[in-house]
Amino acid sequence: MRIFSAFFLLFVGQIAAAQSQPISTAQPARSQRVEAQAEAKPSTQDLTSLPLGKGLPVMVRVGLFFQSVMAFADSEGTFTGTVDMRLRWEDPRLRYPAETTPRGFQEYRGPSADQKLKEVWVPGVAFSNLKESPSYQTTSLRIFPNGWVEVMQRTTGRFAITIDAGAFPFDKQTLGVEVTVRRETTGEASLVVLQEDIDFSRAAQELSIDGWTPGLVNVKRYTQPGWYGETHSGLTVGLTVARNSGNVVAPVFIPLLASLLIPLVAIWMNSTEDGEFTIDAFELANVIVGGLFAVIALNFTINAVYSPVATGDNTVTRLFGLNYLTLGLSLAIVVLLYRYNVPMRLFGRYVQEQLFSYLSWAVPLLALGTALALILVAAT
Amino acid sequence: MKFRRSAPLILISAIALVVVVASIVSSLLFTNMISSVEEKQFSLMHSIVAFNLKSAEDRALARAAMVANLPRARALFAAQDRAGLLAEYSKMFTEQKDKYGVDQAQFHSLPATSFLRLNAPEDFGDDLTRFRPIVVAVNRDQISRKGFAVARSGPAIFGVVPMFDPQEKHIGSFEVGISFDDVLDNLKNAYNIEMAVFIDEASLREFAKGIDPAIFSDQNRVGKFIRFHSTNGAIFQSLVSDKDLNTTENTQYTREALGLTYGIVLVPLRNGAGDVLGMVAATSDFSASRSSRGRAFVWQALIALFSIVLLAGVALVVIRGTLLRPLEVITSRFATLSTGDRSAEIPETEIMCEELKKLAQQYEELRTANQKETE
Repeated sequence: MRIFSAFFLLFVGQIAAAQSQPISTAQPARSQRVEAQAEAKPSTQDLTSLPLGKGLPVMVRVGLFFQSVMAFADSEGTFTGTVDMRLRWEDPRLRYPAETTPRGFQEYRGPSADQKLKEVWVPGVAFSNLKESPSYQTTSLRIFPNGWVEVMQRTTGRFAITIDAGAFPFDKQTLGVEVTVRRETTGEASLVVLQEDIDFSRAAQELSIDGWTPGLVNVKRYTQPGWYGETHSGLTVGLTVARNSGNVVAPVFIPLLASLLIPLVAIWMNSTEDGEFTIDAFELANVIVGGLFAVIALNFTINAVYSPVATGDNTVTRLFGLNYLTLGLSLAIVVLLYRYNVPMRLFGRYVQEQLFSYLSWAVPLLALGTALALILVAAT
Repeated sequence: MKFRRSAPLILISAIALVVVVASIVSSLLFTNMISSVEEKQFSLMHSIVAFNLKSAEDRALARAAMVANLPRARALFAAQDRAGLLAEYSKMFTEQKDKYGVDQAQFHSLPATSFLRLNAPEDFGDDLTRFRPIVVAVNRDQISRKGFAVARSGPAIFGVVPMFDPQEKHIGSFEVGISFDDVLDNLKNAYNIEMAVFIDEASLREFAKGIDPAIFSDQNRVGKFIRFHSTNGAIFQSLVSDKDLNTTENTQYTREALGLTYGIVLVPLRNGAGDVLGMVAATSDFSASRSSRGRAFVWQALIALFSIVLLAGVALVVIRGTLLRPLEVITSRFATLSTGDRSAEIPETEIMCEELKKLAQQYEELRTANQKETE
């Protein structure tokens, strides 16, 4: 019986072990890395594993310098620029006697840096909003005697950004570079920005962007969800740029306001004699239909040139809306008032006469007042 | 008085007055609402700063209390074993500094003499009486205290705990100082509030002998204060002037900088004696509430314009269209009749108002009666 019981327990134990196997292998690589490091001896230790000497998470300090912005295509939601990213962390395994380096640090550049980076642990940091492979990238590595590691990486590439055209053409956009730790979780490596990194994170003095005025650089931290409820550390370093609205006001707003006058002209062109209209409604309706085509053509033109404003709620779409509304209102006036004399039939010729007189100044006043309000709302 | 002009003018003026007053009142109410939102934001910023400074004090005190009560620490300090204390706690301090923002840790002999600075072991033996009132008070009263001070190694938030030897005899104190950098950077990361700490330059020069002299640059100087640490130097250069720092109370104000409106909160830092030695500044972007105030004003003005124009239209069309113009036509017909011309009829009398309809009927009766007499 005891033997049977012992076999039974062994059998249950085997099943339990077999069942727990997939669970343990399903765990992320973190635990494996940690174990590997804990057992490592100084002579044979794997320097590419997480540095545990200072505990977890490894604090990776990040600074990002905007070297230049070659192009900012707000219509595509991208900017092309060169940025210098500086990563710093401490890996006690890499400490060495200070007297061995007269410069105070070991430095690797180009291919030797690439080779050395394969031999030591480097946080799995990536630019998560880089549209395609960078057109240029070079890395340098410095290792200090106290175990501090500094990776400097210059990258030229096209970065995707979100454009908020709500306040167009008085809008500000953020040319953000998203730095995310893709491999390690926040429990293993966390991005931090300290005073020195803030001082480093700025735009070059001579940086200029055609049609935009560069402002401050701001850093925002975030976490990205990972597997099994884990998170990955990330931050966005954003250069705020303000649109030079003067360049846009003339080509966009003058046509939009001019097209607003077309339906108003249709109202103004008529006149009354003893309560009766003198101009044929058909001719005035033609003016409005012509205006409609003009606005549609303008809409296509502006959407083609300034595609960010083609959709969503912004000053341009609102002004187009006002144009269409004024065209509709003018058409209603032409049909109901000029063609069918509805007010005269209901209330008499004198009411119609006074209504026409009133509409000829009230509609333009309200239309232009609304247009002005829409522009002012965007400007505030 | 000409009714045709005066009546609509009076009516439209009255309409405009009522609408404008209503719009102004509504705008003021909205402005007050926005102001109250900003007040709450200010209050929240004050609370965040105060809570985090207090938390830093508590953290410093908790760490100091843990070390001060360790039997080994008490024995080594009682034996005045400086090397032993350094060997025992140097690694602990380094890790605390690297990971948790602990900037300073120091053992004090009685009454207030530096025995060992874990952050600067070679620097000891100096008298702290003049600039460390907390240490003096802790060693005098044998009660733990916490607070801000400008120490030899720089300004920090301290927790100071009295230390006793294994026989419970008071032998000195131990302190832990949490750096402002850590507190302010964490606040920025957690709440996206830009933070800065300004320290009185005279105090820094007199007491903080161990800090980097580069901090005393013109770029960091704001009146009698030095911007010791900030999460965004460019913003604070525009937002905080020496006049703003010339206060000893919690202060708040708004200011425009770099095209945005910022709300700024200043919290004075007092040492154990109650003297203001510095100021913590917190700033948050208020441009969202400010622009919504501006937008609300524009929309309200537009609504007011629509109200005035539409109501004026009703007044004009009703008065002129149903009363004055028909009256003008009837008057002209009577004038024609008085000249003997009876041919002119008044059109559309059936859709006139009752009062004018009667007048038109009178005209018609008079015209037809005269016509019969003539015949």
